[in-house]
Amino acid sequence: MKDQDLGLDFSMVIASTVHDMKNSLGSLIQAHGQWVKQLPEACRGTPDQGVIDYEFAHLNGMLVQLLGLYKLGVNQLPLRPDYHELDDFIEAQLAFHQEVLVSRGITARYAVDDFGLPGFFDRELVGSVVSNVVINAIRFARSEVLITAGQVGEQLVISINDDGPGFPARMIEEHTDYVLGINQNSGSTGLGLYFAANIAKQHQRKGVPGHIEITNGGELGGGLFSIYLP
Amino acid sequence: MLAWNQKNFLIVDDFSDFRSSVRSMLRELGVKVVDTADTGEEALKMCAQKRYDFVLHDFNLGDGKKNGQQVLEDLMTDRLISHESVFVMVTAENSQAMVMSALEWEPDAYLTKPFNRASLAQRLEKIVQRKTLLKPILQALDRGNPTEVLNACVALTQQEPRFAPLCLRYKADALRDLNQHEPLEAFLKSILADRPQPWAYAALGKLLFKRGRHAEAQTVYEEAIRAFNAMPVLYDGLADVLVATGDSKRAQKMLEEAVRLSPYAVRRQRLLGKLALENEDFDGASKAYRQAVSQGQFSRFKDPETNLGFAQALISRGGERGLDARTRVEINQTLTEVAKENGNDAGLQVRARLMKATSVASSDPEMAAKLTEQAMERLEGMEQFLSADAALAVASQLKALGQEDAGAGILKSCAEIYGDDPQVMQNIARQTDDPEILGAGKAAIDFNIQGIRCYRAGKLGEAQDLFRQGLALQPKNISIALNMAQSLLHMGVHNLDAASLAECQNSLKMVGKMPESDARFERFQKLRLRAFGE
Repeated sequence: MKDQDLGLDFSMVIASTVHDMKNSLGSLIQAHGQWVKQLPEACRGTPDQGVIDYEFAHLNGMLVQLLGLYKLGVNQLPLRPDYHELDDFIEAQLAFHQEVLVSRGITARYAVDDFGLPGFFDRELVGSVVSNVVINAIRFARSEVLITAGQVGEQLVISINDDGPGFPARMIEEHTDYVLGINQNSGSTGLGLYFAANIAKQHQRKGVPGHIEITNGGELGGGLFSIYLP
Repeated sequence: MLAWNQKNFLIVDDFSDFRSSVRSMLRELGVKVVDTADTGEEALKMCAQKRYDFVLHDFNLGDGKKNGQQVLEDLMTDRLISHESVFVMVTAENSQAMVMSALEWEPDAYLTKPFNRASLAQRLEKIVQRKTLLKPILQALDRGNPTEVLNACVALTQQEPRFAPLCLRYKADALRDLNQHEPLEAFLKSILADRPQPWAYAALGKLLFKRGRHAEAQTVYEEAIRAFNAMPVLYDGLADVLVATGDSKRAQKMLEEAVRLSPYAVRRQRLLGKLALENEDFDGASKAYRQAVSQGQFSRFKDPETNLGFAQALISRGGERGLDARTRVEINQTLTEVAKENGNDAGLQVRARLMKATSVASSDPEMAAKLTEQAMERLEGMEQFLSADAALAVASQLKALGQEDAGAGILKSCAEIYGDDPQVMQNIARQTDDPEILGAGKAAIDFNIQGIRCYRAGKLGEAQDLFRQGLALQPKNISIALNMAQSLLHMGVHNLDAASLAECQNSLKMVGKMPESDARFERFQKLRLRAFGE
């Protein structure tokens, strides 16, 4: 049976289900956090705990992204750019992932070039992009993640670098055909880049759209993701 | 670091698990005072009794309850929290609350569930840092002094140019409150040329609209919607312009778009209902009004006009077919509420009864006759003026219920009160051909027009004389009465002799029964204050 037969808009069904899933997951994360606090010290910070924290964050990031993609699809993704202090923005990202970073034993630091004025972007949208990239970086990093913000030409660049094995060569070559990635067994990674590229593109200044770049190297030698915002 | 232990917190959420989880995060930070509430209504009561430094408010507290945006509006309008206090909107979804934004009041931050202690502390500390910096501006806002706000913005920007972006919106609001139209226009245009933001578009559109530059306002809104297609407030603004330029079909489409993006807005639903009714889209009107009535239950924008509009839409939707039982119950409910809650308002009592009579005219003629009679009795001794729209509706209902003479009487007094408004006269002409009603005011209106001309030319005595003659013919005409009073008060109230002062006061007294919804009510209030010195 096709969804038309049921008179259902299937993407809306998925979106509202995802919305409920996200609420559910939120309660789960909150309850789990409370529960962990009551455990004796020795039972905390185990590798299992690392897996749980990481997968919670990963799941949450995916659901946020899925809702974002739905809204993008139906032209309802509200873009609301404003001025934001970059250190505040990045600190908030790291605070959000604090548990995962601690339980996976990964050191995260950040560096912001001082360029006088704050950045101009949609905090929620760019926040969800950076958050997903950070989760990805945590997954592949051996011990370090570095977030930097600086200015290249007229554009603000926020980069996430790790000391892991880096992006596969094929992904770097084909990263403009993100959606291809979905069909080629690389899971949600392609979709993540598609989402990121779209969010970047929504940010325009005087006809110049934002964009993303992925490469390997950087200060830490692993994967290096950058989002350019005009 | 923040002195957490000296701060008062209020957490508002309908889930007790969430409240206790946030409470324990705050305790870990060293916070001593954490109060909680599970509804917005309770939160408002608590804020009235105690000053909170921080309010963490869940956006969605369930159907039929005030949502976070409504609570924030109430808190700010009733001045229950200081601008220095921190209001954080907690949402389940990143973009959920965004569609609410660019409204008059915005929270200091949005926080998406779930969040951990580190995130909460980080956000709160940053907000406090920012608010400390903006203290002079915020204190001026608490004092309601836009000039001080403006000065504080200038001082802060000079002291540290990198803070300039933080001041943009405060500065724009202050210029607006000071009616500094030209500087505001230039300022907003400079913001839009550099870094367009939805609020700046909305502010510019509103300013141009207010100044009657409709075509320019329309262009601004259309450009804004191309850049930010998911911001309801921009569709609202465009709809206002389209209504003013007479394109009510497209205005309705715009509001439908805004409602799709953000359905929880009483005023928007009400306006959509009104437009749809005008456009004879009775299904659409019923739907929008139904939403407006049910959302309005808990809102400060609750308004009997919404209930009356809803009933009208349902009756019109029934048309020739008549009304089914369920619809009759719905109409009865919504009108009973109007009658019950507005016991002292004669106009509303009359209108609710006539509306109800109309709805039962074919199913229960006896009841209809009884209600009509009651309405006529109240109409008899009523001093208060009906608004033009209300008067037109009452007249046509009276006529339909067999009270042709009473209907004509209403039209006649409507023509006297609002006769200088060609739109109103056109609407009256749709209901009657009686030259006594349509032509009665012509002479008075001519006196008024000539009077205005003389007044503008500085010929005060002549102007007064013309207004006086006009008013003698149509003593209830609001415009002429206000013009009479203003022309007398022109030289200052202290220079008036006793007779002139009495004349001035009498003309104001006569139109003192005008509806508060009338666009001229503010002008009336100002004149009354000057004439009576209250």
